[in-house]
Amino acid sequence: MTAAADIIRVPGSRTAWSLAAALVGLCFLLACAAPLGVNGYGLYLLTLTEIFALVALGLNFLTGYAGQISLCHASFFGVGAYATAILTQKAGVPYLLSLFAGAAFTTAIGAIVAVPSLRLKNIYLAIATLGFGVVLQKIIFEWRSLTGGGGGMALTAPHIAGYELSATGLYYLTLVLMTLGLFGAWNVSRGRTGRALLVIKDSEIAAGSLGIHAARYKVIAFAISAFYAAIAGGLFAYLVRYINPESFSVGLSISFLSMVVIGGLGTIGGSILGAAFYVIVPELLRGIKDAPGLVFGLLLVLVMVFMPQGLWGMLRRLGRRSRR
Amino acid sequence: MTHLAIENVSVDFGGIHALRDVTFGLETGSIVGLIGPNGAGKSTLLNCISGITRPTRGRVRLGDTVLSAMSSAAIARQGIGRVFQHPELVAELSVHDNLLIACHLSLRYGLFSELLRLPNVRQQEGSAAERVAGVLARLGIADSAEARVGSLPYGHRKLIDLGRALLMDISFLLLDEPIAGLNDGEIARLREILLGLRREFGLGILVVEHNMPFVSGLCDRLVVLDLGQLIANGPPAQVLGDARVMSSYLGEALDA
Repeated sequence: MTAAADIIRVPGSRTAWSLAAALVGLCFLLACAAPLGVNGYGLYLLTLTEIFALVALGLNFLTGYAGQISLCHASFFGVGAYATAILTQKAGVPYLLSLFAGAAFTTAIGAIVAVPSLRLKNIYLAIATLGFGVVLQKIIFEWRSLTGGGGGMALTAPHIAGYELSATGLYYLTLVLMTLGLFGAWNVSRGRTGRALLVIKDSEIAAGSLGIHAARYKVIAFAISAFYAAIAGGLFAYLVRYINPESFSVGLSISFLSMVVIGGLGTIGGSILGAAFYVIVPELLRGIKDAPGLVFGLLLVLVMVFMPQGLWGMLRRLGRRSRR
Repeated sequence: MTHLAIENVSVDFGGIHALRDVTFGLETGSIVGLIGPNGAGKSTLLNCISGITRPTRGRVRLGDTVLSAMSSAAIARQGIGRVFQHPELVAELSVHDNLLIACHLSLRYGLFSELLRLPNVRQQEGSAAERVAGVLARLGIADSAEARVGSLPYGHRKLIDLGRALLMDISFLLLDEPIAGLNDGEIARLREILLGLRREFGLGILVVEHNMPFVSGLCDRLVVLDLGQLIANGPPAQVLGDARVMSSYLGEALDA
């Protein structure tokens, strides 16, 4: 009856759903089998992709859904890494427990960082979070007795239930945690919190008129995204086995933000694609003599110019076209 | 029956007096039109009631509860629904999902359940989706449930914005120029919907509107603002016969 409704229908058919489910299943099987087909360095890259994907999934709540910019997520990542490492190495707490205790601690810091975001917007918020990031990095640097300061911390292999965690073991642990993170992100995206964040991004006045406390949900978004970043940090520490404050600089925060934007703001698949792009593409460009950084930078520009909806938006468009 | 009272409300923006000592009230079950020339302070008054603007002096009361110190979210939770002049919808979401946002207050699961999508989440989301379907049917737009809001004509979007207010378990509804941009068929339908809401749920409705035939046909009472001051308050026939109203507003409208 209504013409406009007929012109643009959101594709939600059963076949599209089962196709998507089959694709996700295939990706998961490939990820499970991957350690069989790659060497040690390949395994390292895959684990790193999953770790970054976890950060991007969390940051997507904040930036993709709620529309808030953060330049301190490398610091959340770093606090998670240090807290996990310190608890495991110095206090002898089991690795998995340290991982979650460190994340809980970082979540609390994330909620505190959210306080200025209640008053600040856009570029002003970005600068405030930049300041927070610098402060957190500086605290890690100066607290030498606990963190080893600029000299960093070298870590021994973690143990789970008495067994030493090999590189393959860490890969699978990361895969499990990333899958859980993905599941949680997907659930929130179709629940009341995900919807509330989307409204806040659009209009805080509209959110208020619907009974949604914008301030409260911004704090929640900061806290969840800090939790994801910290879990990823705790995995990263044991992937590289050596951490120092320099590893968690503003540059990394900007990379995290780019992953979310390149993948596609507000999309869960995009967070994973963005992370993969950031890890894998520079590796593929290594063959180009002297110029990998240059080509990678240009690629970033091209993606943004020709795919403003990000890699995921591009894939979705292609999928829609092929079904027609 | 609940009473929404606007008591001696003044709003100053810098040196400008947007509202001066405005006092009137409305009951649930009544439809009141708020009219006046551009710049009379009508939208400012709606903003005061819904907590977007704080009164400089005076207060707004719902029964015994003072609203004027509350946040807009808290006022919405008290059962005051607001429909904006320009629909504030999320363009990239479907009609159904936009309406689902308005079920926020009736969904009572925690973040942890949401992350794991526990059975209570699925059950509550299911019943919210049913309520959304009910409102879509009431508004007569059930067949565009899956359409993206950004692709719909303006009149449709205004109806969806109204639908959001209806999902919020409200006792009062504030409408800002609801028929601007609607065609004759849509205006007639909106009128039926509003009368139906009063009849079935006893909603109190405060409507800002320029279209005289529409307000005088719909409202029990008209309140007239001019330059921030209340100049008339009474049944449409009486108000429209008031000489002061004629000169300040209707004269202008008739000339135009």
